[in-house]
Amino acid sequence: MSTERSEHHRTEHLRPERQRPERQRQDRHIRRSGSGISWFALILGIGIGIAAGLIYTWEIDPVIDPQVAPHQLGAEGREDYVVAVALSYAHNRDLNLAFDRLRALRPDQNVWQMVADMACNRENTGKMVTNADIRVLRAMVDLYYPQGARNCADDWGTPPAPLIVIPTQTPANTPTPSLTPPSTKTPTPPIPTNTPIQSTQATATPRAGGYTLSRLQSFCNPDASGVVEVRVYDTRGQGVAGVKVQAVWRGNLSDTFYTGLKPEREAGYADFAMTSGVSYTILIPNLVSDPPVVDAVVCDTTDDGEVILMSYWVNFEQRLN
Amino acid sequence: MAKRYVGSLLIGILIGGTVAVVIGWGLWPAENTNSPLQDLDSAYQEEYTIMIAEGYLYDRDVNGALARLQPLNKADIFAFIQQLTERFISQSNIPAITPMVALAEAIGRLTPAMEIYRSTPVSTLAFGN
Repeated sequence: MSTERSEHHRTEHLRPERQRPERQRQDRHIRRSGSGISWFALILGIGIGIAAGLIYTWEIDPVIDPQVAPHQLGAEGREDYVVAVALSYAHNRDLNLAFDRLRALRPDQNVWQMVADMACNRENTGKMVTNADIRVLRAMVDLYYPQGARNCADDWGTPPAPLIVIPTQTPANTPTPSLTPPSTKTPTPPIPTNTPIQSTQATATPRAGGYTLSRLQSFCNPDASGVVEVRVYDTRGQGVAGVKVQAVWRGNLSDTFYTGLKPEREAGYADFAMTSGVSYTILIPNLVSDPPVVDAVVCDTTDDGEVILMSYWVNFEQRLN
Repeated sequence: MAKRYVGSLLIGILIGGTVAVVIGWGLWPAENTNSPLQDLDSAYQEEYTIMIAEGYLYDRDVNGALARLQPLNKADIFAFIQQLTERFISQSNIPAITPMVALAEAIGRLTPAMEIYRSTPVSTLAFGN
C-alpha cells in the first residue's frame, strides 16, 4: 500500500514535468503555422505595393508605345490630322474614306461636329492669315457642312455655283385700251411708244471670245482696305468699259457694278468694297475660266488698332476665238 | 510582434509591386493620349502623307504641304517623300501614286520611275500670300 501510494505520488509529481515540453511544442507549432505572418500587414503591403507600382508604371515611367494610333494624338496633332482629312476630301470627294479616317480619332462626339468645332476654333484663334489658311478652312466647312454639322465657321464654305440668270425678252408694255378721258383744255400728249432700251451689257459683250482670269493677286494696303480692283481687257490689251461685274457671296447675295465708271484710273477698271469675313465670287459675262473667289480677311492692323482687310487685283482678259 | 508586422508588410509590398509592374508595363500599359504626329505608327504616317499629297492636288500649295509634313519630324522630308512615292509605285498602291508623284514633282524629286505617273500639269495662279 505504501509502495502504491509512493508510486502514485511520484507519478502525480512527474506528470507536469513530462507534459510541459509537449505543450511548448504544440504552442510553437501553432505559432509557426499561423502567426508567423501578420495577414493584416501582408494585405496592407500588397495594397501599398500595387498602388505605388501602378503610379510608377503608369505615371512616372510609362511604357512608350512605339505604335501610336490617331486617337492617341494630342490636340495639335488631331487638328493637323483633321486638316489633312479635309484637304484630302476636297480632292477625292470620298466621304466614306474621310469618315473612316476621322473615326480613327475616336472623338467623343459626332465626327462631323468635331470638324466643325475645329474649324470654328481655327477661325477664332486667328489661323486665317493667308489664302492657304482660307482654303483649309473652306475644305473643312465643305466636309462638315453637308453632313449637318454647324458652327461659327459655316460662312467660310465654298459658295455654291452662282445661277446664271439669262434675262428673257420682256414684251413691250402695250397700252391697254381704256375709256377716253373727258376732254380737257390742255391737250394730252401722245402716248409714247415703248422702244427697247439699249442695255449697257450688250455693248460690253465681247465679240472676239470669252474672258479668262489672267491675274488674281492679293495685296495689303491701308489706303485700300478690302477692295477688289477689277480690270477687264480685250484681246489687244485695251481696257473694256461697260462690262458688268457681279460679286456674289453667301450663295444668294450679290452686287453689280460696271467697268469704266472711273476713267481716271483705267477704261476697264471697276472696284468693289468687301465686308470683313465674307468670301466673294467675282463674275463677268462670258467668263470661260473658273470664277475667282476672294476673301475679306484681316491682313494687318494700323497703329491706331484699325484692321486692314486684304485687297485683290482681279484681271480678266479676252481670248481670241 | 513588430518584427513580424514589418516583415509581412515588406513581403506584401514586394508582391504588390511585382503585380503592379506586370500590369502597368505588360498587361495593361498606360495609353498615351497626348502624342505628337511624329510618334504615329509608320502606317498612319504614310496615310497622313498621302492625305497631304491629295491636299496638294487640291490647292497646289507646295509650301503648305511641306509645312503640314513638318510635324512628322523627318530628318529629310524630301527624301522621305521620294522614297515613299517609289515604294508606293513598287507596291502598285494605285490611289496613292498620283498625288505622291505630283508632290514629289513639286519638290523637285521626280525620278524616272515616277515619270509615267505624272498628271497633266495644271496652270497655277500666283497668290500673294
